[in-house]
Amino acid sequence: MAWDLLLWIISFFVSLALVASVFYQVICLTDLEADYLNPFETSTRINRLVIPEFILQGSLCLLFLFTWHWVFFLVALPVTVYHAMLYNDRRYLIDVTEVFRAISFEKKFRFTKLGFYIFLFIMVVFRLTLSAVYSFTEDDDLLHLF
Amino acid sequence: MGTENNKGYPKFPARPAPSSSPYASAPPPGIPPPSGGPPTGSDAVGFRPFPPSASQPIRPFTPSGPPPAPQVGAMRPAQPSPFVSQIPGSRPPPPSSNSFPSTAYGPPPPPPPPPGAAPFQRFPSPPFPTTQNPPPQGPPQTLAGHFSPPMSLRPQQQPMAPVTMGPPPQSTTSGLPGANASPSPADFNMAARPGFQQSMPPVTPSYPGVGGSQPSFPGYPSKQVSQPPPMPFQSSQGPPGPPPVSSYPPHTGGFAQRPNIVAQQNLHPSYAPPTSNVQGLVEDFNSLSLASIPGSMEPGLDHRSFPRPLDGDVEPNSFAEMYPMNCHSRYLRLTTSAIPNSQSLASRWHLPLGAVVCPLAETPEGEEVPLIDFGSTGIIRCRRCRTYVNPYVTFTDSGRKWRCNICSMLNDVPGEYFSHLDANGRRMDMDQRPELTKGSVEIIAPTEYMVRPPMPPIYFFLIDVSISATKSGMLEVVAQTIKSCLDNLPGYPRTQIGFITYDSTLHFYNMKSSLSQPQMMVVTDLDDIFLPLPDDLLVNLSESRTVVEAFLDSLPMMFQDNVNVESAFGPALRAAFMVMNQLGGKLLIFQNSLPSLGAGRLKLRGDDPRVYGTDKEYALRVAEDPFYKQMAADCTKFQIGINVYAFSDKYTDIASLGTLAKYTGGQVYYYPGFQSSVHGDKLRHELARDLTRETAWEAVMRIRCGKGIRFTSYHGNFMLRSTDLLALPAVDCDKAYAMQLSLEETLLTTQTVYFQVALLYTASCGERRIRVHTSVAPVVADLGEMYRQADTGSIVSLYARLAIEKSMSAKLDDARNAIQQKIVKALKEYRNLHAVQHRLGSRLIYPETLKFLPLYGLAIIKSTPLQGGPADASLDERCAAGFTMMALPVKKLLKLLYPNLIRVDEWLLKPSADHDDLRDVSNRLPLAAESLDSRGLYIYDDGFRLVLWFGRMLSPDIAKNLLGNDFAAELSRVTFQEQGNGMSKKLMSLVKKLRENDPSYHPMCFLVRQGEQPREGFLLLRHLIEDQMGGSSGYVDWILQLQRQIQQN
Repeated sequence: MAWDLLLWIISFFVSLALVASVFYQVICLTDLEADYLNPFETSTRINRLVIPEFILQGSLCLLFLFTWHWVFFLVALPVTVYHAMLYNDRRYLIDVTEVFRAISFEKKFRFTKLGFYIFLFIMVVFRLTLSAVYSFTEDDDLLHLF
Repeated sequence: MGTENNKGYPKFPARPAPSSSPYASAPPPGIPPPSGGPPTGSDAVGFRPFPPSASQPIRPFTPSGPPPAPQVGAMRPAQPSPFVSQIPGSRPPPPSSNSFPSTAYGPPPPPPPPPGAAPFQRFPSPPFPTTQNPPPQGPPQTLAGHFSPPMSLRPQQQPMAPVTMGPPPQSTTSGLPGANASPSPADFNMAARPGFQQSMPPVTPSYPGVGGSQPSFPGYPSKQVSQPPPMPFQSSQGPPGPPPVSSYPPHTGGFAQRPNIVAQQNLHPSYAPPTSNVQGLVEDFNSLSLASIPGSMEPGLDHRSFPRPLDGDVEPNSFAEMYPMNCHSRYLRLTTSAIPNSQSLASRWHLPLGAVVCPLAETPEGEEVPLIDFGSTGIIRCRRCRTYVNPYVTFTDSGRKWRCNICSMLNDVPGEYFSHLDANGRRMDMDQRPELTKGSVEIIAPTEYMVRPPMPPIYFFLIDVSISATKSGMLEVVAQTIKSCLDNLPGYPRTQIGFITYDSTLHFYNMKSSLSQPQMMVVTDLDDIFLPLPDDLLVNLSESRTVVEAFLDSLPMMFQDNVNVESAFGPALRAAFMVMNQLGGKLLIFQNSLPSLGAGRLKLRGDDPRVYGTDKEYALRVAEDPFYKQMAADCTKFQIGINVYAFSDKYTDIASLGTLAKYTGGQVYYYPGFQSSVHGDKLRHELARDLTRETAWEAVMRIRCGKGIRFTSYHGNFMLRSTDLLALPAVDCDKAYAMQLSLEETLLTTQTVYFQVALLYTASCGERRIRVHTSVAPVVADLGEMYRQADTGSIVSLYARLAIEKSMSAKLDDARNAIQQKIVKALKEYRNLHAVQHRLGSRLIYPETLKFLPLYGLAIIKSTPLQGGPADASLDERCAAGFTMMALPVKKLLKLLYPNLIRVDEWLLKPSADHDDLRDVSNRLPLAAESLDSRGLYIYDDGFRLVLWFGRMLSPDIAKNLLGNDFAAELSRVTFQEQGNGMSKKLMSLVKKLRENDPSYHPMCFLVRQGEQPREGFLLLRHLIEDQMGGSSGYVDWILQLQRQIQQN
C-alpha cells in the first residue's frame, strides 16, 4: 500500500513538472510573438527544457508500465512515441533561424501537450487522493465510510 | 533601451513595453517611454486626435485662411476638423484633400470607388469627385494644385475602368468600340491610360480584323517585322484536312485592342460568333488561341506569336506617374499596385500579394537619395505607429499639427520644424524639404538610435590553405585581390581587417602595427578553441597597413608546399567568431573542401541516387549539422555577416555552408573546379566588388503599412529578429528581400494603403542613418483592376523564392508543381472573370500585365535550383544557385530566368567605324534552338555566364579573326582573348559592355561550337528554356498544359 502511495506521489510531482515546463515554453513563445523576447533567447530557454521534459515524460511512461498501470501507460504512450519520433528526426529543438515560420505550429503543439499533461495531472491527483485515503484509513474504517 | 538596435547587441534586454515600436527613440533612463502603448485616458489630451466637437472652438481663423471658396481652398489650412464639416452628398468639400487618410472619421466615403480613385484626394479636384459626375468642362479648375494637367486628369480615368471591363456584347453597332462605353471623357482618358496607348486607332466599323494586320504582337514588339509572317493555319497543323479556312493568322491579339479581339474571335474556325455581337467589345485581356483542329492531334498554334520578354523587364510605371512622390520601383515593387479591399477579394487573387524590396539599390548618376539632418529637432515620426515623416503626411491647424498617413494620428509639429502653410495647405518650405517631396530619403540618426558607437567597417578573412587551395591558385588570387583592394575598402581610416587561415590546424596572425612582419600562431587544439592573444588579431588597416601587405605578399608562398588535405572549418569559424564578436563586421570565408575536422564536420551525402524522389530528398538541400544554423544565428546576433566562397569541384556541402550566408544576410559565391587561369578573373572581379561596394553595417529593416494589412512572411537571405524586423548584419545594393502581406480586416475602409520601408544602418563613414522609402497604392474592389496593375517582375521574384523555399522542405517535383498550380489558379480565376461575358472557346486568356508570367513560370521550373533530377545539376550547384536567387533583385533575377540571346555575326561584319553602336545587337531572340542559325555567331548572356556559340557553318573568316590560329581547335581549350584586329576588338568591346551592364557579377566567357557535345548541351542547349528537353516540357507544351488545367474544373 505504501509503495502505491509513493508511486502516485512521484507521478504527481513529475506530471506537475511537465505541466510547468510546457506552460513555461508556451509563455516563452507568446512573449516572442509579442516581441518581449528575441528569438535567440527564446530558443535557448525552450531548448534547455526540451530534453529534460522528454526524459521525464518517458520515465513516467515506463514507470506506469513497470507498475502495471495499464490505463495510465496507454494514456502516456502516444506522447512518448511522438517524442521519440521527433528525437529521431532531430526536429525536437526550436530552430532559432526559422522560429517565426514555425511559431504557430510550435504553439499549437505545446498547447495540445499542455492540455494533455493537465489531463494526466488530474488523473494522477485523483489516484493519489484515492491511494492516500486507502493507506491512511483502515479497511474497517473504509467500510464505515460507505 | 527601447531602440531597435538594442536587440542587436549582446545583452538583449527584454523590450520595455509591449507596443513600443522598436524604432522608438530611447527615452532617457528613468522616464517612462512616452510612446508606450496606444494613448489612453490619462494622456489623451496630448495624444488623441481632436474629437470633432472639441476642434470646433479652437479653430484658429488665422488671417492666412482665405474665405472658403471651394475652388481655391482645396487644402485650406484653417479647417482643422475636416471630418465635421463634410456633408455627404453635398458638393465635394474642400477639406477632403487635406484629410485624405482620415476617411475613417469622415462621413461614409463614397462607395469604394472604382479602382484607384484615391489619388484624387491628393490632388485638389473638387469638381468631379465620383463617377456620377458628368464629364468635366475641361481640366482647368482642377489645377489649383501643383501638378501638371495630365496628373490631375488621371483620377478621372479611373471611373472608366469598369467600362473597359466588358460591356455586354450586344451593346451597340457603332463602329468605334469605345463609343458605347461613355461619352467624351472616355476619349481623353484613353489617351492617358497606359494600357490603351495604341487602342484608339480609327477602326473600320465592321470586321476590322480581316486583314490580319495587327498593330502589335504581345511578345514581339519590334521583332515581328524581321520574322516571317505568321503561318497560315493550314500549314502549321497536322495531316487531316481541316475545314478550309482563310489565311487568318491563328494567333492573337494585342494590347487590349478591341479591333484585335474582334478579329481573333472571328478568326477561329471552331468559334464563330455572330459578328454583330462582338462589335463593341471592350476588353483588356490578351489571349492565345489554342484550339486544335478537330480531328487533328497537332495543336494549331503558332508558337512564334507567344509572348516573350525580349525587351527585358518592363517596370510598371503607371503608378509612378500617378503618384510621383512614390519611391522608385528599383527600391520597392509591389506584386500588384492595387490592394484588394476585402479578404474575399484577396482570396480570389491567387497570385502572391506582397512586395520585393531592394533598400540600397544602386542609383544612376544624379538621382542619389537626398541626405537629411534633422539636427536638434529630432527625427519627425508619428507618435503612435512610428512612421517617418514622408510626402504623404498632411499638415493641418496652420501647420502646427501633422496627420500621419499610415495611422491617421494627429501629431504636433516640433517648434523648429514649424512652417506656415500657404493657401493650398502646402507648407511654405516644401521645396527645401526633400522628405516632404521625395519618396526616398536618408535621414541621419541621432544618438537615440545607437546603443553603442557606430561600428567601423570590419573585414575578416577565413582562408582555407589546404592543398587544394594552393594547387588551384585560389590562394594567390585571393591574396592579390585583397591587397589591390586595400585602398578602396570603404570607411578609411576606421576600417579594420584580420585573417585566420586553417587546414587541420588554425593559424592566427598578429598584425600589431609595431611589428614589421606578421607573427603566425598555430593552434592545434580543435575541441577547445581559444585565442592565442586577446588583441591584434583584428587591426586597424591604416595603422597596420605595412604588416597587412607583408602578410598578403607572403601568404601564397607560406603555404605553397602545404600537403594537408584536412579542413578544420568549424573550429576556424568559431575562432573567427570569437575574434569578431566584440564589433561584428563582414566575414569572408574561402572554403576549398568539405569540412572534415572538429565541430561542424560534414560527410559526403547526395551521392546516393536512390534518395532522390523520396520524401527524404529535401534533407540534402538543408544544413546537415545544426552547428551551422546555430553559428549563423550567433553571428547575426553579434552583427557578423558571412559571405561564402566555395571552390571545390568535389562535393562541399554548399547546403550547409550556405546556411551561414543565408541567415546572416550574405551571399554564396561558387566556383566549381576553380582554376586560377580560368576562373581567376571572375573571382578577382567578384571579390573586389564584395570588398569595395558600399555596405550598410549592423542594419535592421522593417516595412510598415497601413491599418488592416500586415506583412506576414519574408523571403530572402536574412534572419527575422522579431515578427517583422529583418536583421541584416551587412547589406548592400545587390540584395533584395521579398515579403508577402495579408489582410487582417475583412474590409479595408481606406482608399489607399501606404508602405514605408525603413532601413536603419551604420554607413561606412561611421554615421548612423535611416533610409526611408515610402510608397502608396490604391485600394480597389475589383479583381480586374488588380490584374491590370499586376507586376510580373515582382510576382516572378516572389514565386522563385517560394519555390526554392519549398524545395528545402519537399521534393523538387512538388516545388515545381506548386508553381504550376499557382499559375493555373491565377489564370483560371482570370478566365472566370471574363468567361461570363465572352465565349472564350479554347483560348488561353491572360491579362496584358501578366503576359510573360507563364513563360517565367516555365523558366523558374527550369532554373538551376529546381530543374530536372539528380543528373541535371550537381547538388552543390543547385544549392549555390538557390542561395543566389534568394538574394537577387528583380531585374537580375528576370535576366537569369530568361537570358539574352543575341546574334552578333552580322553586326561584326558590318563595317562601322564606331565600336560603340551596340544598339544594333540589342535584338534579343527567343530562347529556342530554332533561333540559332548554323551560319551565325550568338552570345548568350544570363548575367552570370556569357556563352559564345559558333555555328557550324559560320564563315571561317570570322572564327579566324576572333580566335586567331586556334579557330579550328576544340573550343574548350581556346582562351578567348583579343586578337588585334578590328572584328575581335569589336567583339571584346561588346563583351565588356555586357559585363559593365551589371557589375554585381562577372560573367565568364565560354566558347562553344555547334555540335560540340556534351559541352554545347551543358552550356547552352540546356538553358534554351523554350525547347523541350529531358522530361521537361517546352514552351508550347507548357502553354497547352496550363490551358488544359485551366479548363478542367
